[in-house]
Amino acid sequence: MASISIQNVHKSYGALNVLKEFSLEIEDGEFVVLVGPSGCGKSTMLKILAGLEPASGGRILIGGRDVTDLAPGDRDIAMVFQNYALYPHLTVRDNIGFGLKMRGVPAAEIRRRVDEAARILAVEHLLDRRPKQLSGGQRQRVALGRAIVREPQAFLMDEPLSNLDAKLRVHMRAEISALHKRIGVTTIYVTHDQIEAMTMADRVVIMKDGVIQQIADPDTLFQKPKNLFVASFIGSPGMNFLAAAPANGAAIRLFGKEVPVNVNADRLMQAHSNGGIVAGIRPEYISTDGGGTEFIVRPSLIESLGSEKYVYFDAGEHTFSGLNDEEARKGLIARLAHSSPLAEGQELKLSFDPARLHLFEGKSGEALN
Amino acid sequence: MKRTTSQNIALYAGVVAVCAFLLFPIYWLVVTALATSAELSQLPPTFWPESPQWETFTKVWAERPIPLWLLNSTLAALGSVALSMFVSVLAGYSLSRFSVRGGHSLGLFILTAKMLPATLLVIPLFSIFRSVGLIGSLWSLVIAHSTLIIPFTTWMMKGYFDTIPRELEQAAMVDGCSPLSAMVRVILPIATPGLAATALYAFVLSWADYAYARTFLTNEQGSWTANLGITTMKGEYVTDWNEIAAAAVFIAVPIIVIYLFLERYLVGGLTAGAEK
Amino acid sequence: MRRGKLIDLARPSRQHWLGYILLAPAVILVAAIIVYPLIISIDLSFQDVKLPRMGAPRKPFTLENYQKLFSSPEFWQTCWVTLKLVVVVTIACLAVGLGTALLVNNRFRGRRLARLAVALPWAVPEVIATVIFAWIFDSSFGLMGWIFIKLGLANQMVAWFSDTTAAFWVVATTMVWKGYPFVSIMTLAGLQSIPEDFYNAAKVDGANAFQRLRWITIPSLMPVLGVTMVLVTLWVFRDFSIIKVLTDGGPLKATQTLSIMTYNEAFGFFKFGYASAVGVITLLLCVVASMAMLGRGSKAMY
Repeated sequence: MASISIQNVHKSYGALNVLKEFSLEIEDGEFVVLVGPSGCGKSTMLKILAGLEPASGGRILIGGRDVTDLAPGDRDIAMVFQNYALYPHLTVRDNIGFGLKMRGVPAAEIRRRVDEAARILAVEHLLDRRPKQLSGGQRQRVALGRAIVREPQAFLMDEPLSNLDAKLRVHMRAEISALHKRIGVTTIYVTHDQIEAMTMADRVVIMKDGVIQQIADPDTLFQKPKNLFVASFIGSPGMNFLAAAPANGAAIRLFGKEVPVNVNADRLMQAHSNGGIVAGIRPEYISTDGGGTEFIVRPSLIESLGSEKYVYFDAGEHTFSGLNDEEARKGLIARLAHSSPLAEGQELKLSFDPARLHLFEGKSGEALN
Repeated sequence: MKRTTSQNIALYAGVVAVCAFLLFPIYWLVVTALATSAELSQLPPTFWPESPQWETFTKVWAERPIPLWLLNSTLAALGSVALSMFVSVLAGYSLSRFSVRGGHSLGLFILTAKMLPATLLVIPLFSIFRSVGLIGSLWSLVIAHSTLIIPFTTWMMKGYFDTIPRELEQAAMVDGCSPLSAMVRVILPIATPGLAATALYAFVLSWADYAYARTFLTNEQGSWTANLGITTMKGEYVTDWNEIAAAAVFIAVPIIVIYLFLERYLVGGLTAGAEK
Repeated sequence: MRRGKLIDLARPSRQHWLGYILLAPAVILVAAIIVYPLIISIDLSFQDVKLPRMGAPRKPFTLENYQKLFSSPEFWQTCWVTLKLVVVVTIACLAVGLGTALLVNNRFRGRRLARLAVALPWAVPEVIATVIFAWIFDSSFGLMGWIFIKLGLANQMVAWFSDTTAAFWVVATTMVWKGYPFVSIMTLAGLQSIPEDFYNAAKVDGANAFQRLRWITIPSLMPVLGVTMVLVTLWVFRDFSIIKVLTDGGPLKATQTLSIMTYNEAFGFFKFGYASAVGVITLLLCVVASMAMLGRGSKAMY
């Protein structure tokens, strides 16, 4: 177990800059998740950390030791891959023990440690099979076994759950979390799934286009997103965005009303001239209870999930198309626990608490509050 | 979709007719080998020999240097397959896994080398071999056949390695392998079926050669390969067609056996080699 | 740790070195046995040499070989024969090979055996195939002569190899028999990659068997057929064994292709310079023909 220090690591292929300056201090035993859409550089960062790709610059220290240009096998790390990468020509036992064998560990010792790892992951009965004869979940366990048997300084996991079906994924997610709690090895986990990031991480690193957007614990990410991208990426369904205009003083104009906000007027005016003010409100903070800022909508679609309802409605004059077309077309969503009959096309009074509003500058996407 | 009975009959009749027509020359070869000399010098021809002359086979095997020819063909094939496979497994792996500067151009050049006419290359090779004293030696075939084989096998191996996920080497390297030992301990064992198919295809290519053997070995009877040997039987004043046919069966059988047992691999290799 | 650290190829900054190391044997071998000989033969084509000796001083540069070549009627006749043979054999191979593949691609008992059988001639060495056809077309007791008499196409045994037209068709027939299985093999592989859903969708849309062939099977096969056509063309263009053993280009050079001419000029008449010129032209035609057939998007072949 060890702390990991990533200092100004960057990577480019010729003129193509896939990873901009990346710095991160990871504490001993911490579970850090790198999350972002595909092509954001998260997997590249993990490969650099593993030593499978050279960095174009920067330094990496694991447990205080400089490993920047050390062979993957000499870094004392273990990795779990998306497709598990189990050696098809070896039995499960030999798969788990391969790393120990390569390090010259005596056979009896390998046997003992493989048995123990297999016991922890409940794959003892599979040890003589070949990867082909295993189910997806079993392969995943064997891949984890291969990682823990080495008792490494750190685990690197590259989207380990994305090849599993939805139900098994939730289950394995919990198991990996439990395993981490049990053995407490520093873990760096890459995923494109914000739910995995939010549920598993001590800290989340959100990336986009090779640039870190925000590093924070899950609650902070949810409550204080640093920019539009983070706000839109975290949460399901995603945050609603509205194009807003400044009103008099520390207030903006929304749905024909002046809504007081905790941003001063100068800053608002500045944002207004820099691509406009974007107001964000999470679907779960819109209610039918009244109070706060109230407005009337005609729902275009109502989806019932049993315990709650998703109400879709048009943003009208506030339509914000800064993110992408699809986002703008789906309109706004309110997530209502309310079970009273709602009907599409029928007037509905909704409200939100102005304190829940997030404000962003349109051009830079930076949060104003 | 169900076929009607008449459609079924038409289908079977069609298949049988086509197979019979296309395979007739092979049947005719066997019939000729089994017929008596008298049966072969009369009209109408003999479609089914009265008393099959199996002795023709033993006679040809004993009186003609067929075992030697087969041995020479095999040696030349083994030598050129070994040389080509060594080179093309390594190169195929490099082309599949590394983006080496100039690697792509080399790959394309090797591919275009498929288009080289053997009759063009045989001229300089003959001059070179003559000056280094390789004319008459099977080593000349090992080298010459490699020029035929490498363009195919390099790309067949690259295509095969492309189907093996890179994560396997990466896992092996995290487990403590060097890039080379990851290849040797993990990738090559997995690629064994592909290696076998490619090597067999290379073997067939070498075995089929006539141009190089004829050019380099004609004056050295002890080095004659099967294909070269049998053509000399045809050129004689009186052609004993039953003997020639028997010899032809001996020469064709090894390749046909390879084909029948490993058809799936060979065909896979052939199509991969053509598309890649 | 474990490994000798002097040259540690596993370091991230050096992992790509292995790519170069693995490529080196191929570069060296290809340079020695393909590139170098190719350069020599191009060089030879610009010299007036009979039987060259390595190390002998180079003869003066001359365009004579090419001038002689382009003004020789034999060369143009050879080109014409080559073209005829390529067109006839390629079309016939594609027709027979495609037809056979479509037939045995149906579901029936013994299908596997039939597929094995139709591809069998591919495994027969060319020289052996040639021997078989030389006997079938034997002018004294060959089967084909007898069939022609029976069918009333001839009054007596045909001397196939003395007649220019007949010899050409014998060569073409032999090549088609040896060449069609390749087309079948490729087509069958191509047929397997057409998703069953295409046919189901077409059936739902009410397409009959012929329409499915015309609008699904053939278009889906086009890429494979295109590549196959190029490969068959190149094979006929450059083939040596079949013609050499069957007719040696005769009679009256009626079956002499560019390959045979190259070889015979070199090893029959020992005019290595002239032969090299023919060979270089053959190579250029191969490259031009395949590029023309595949177009600039010739990636399909790779």
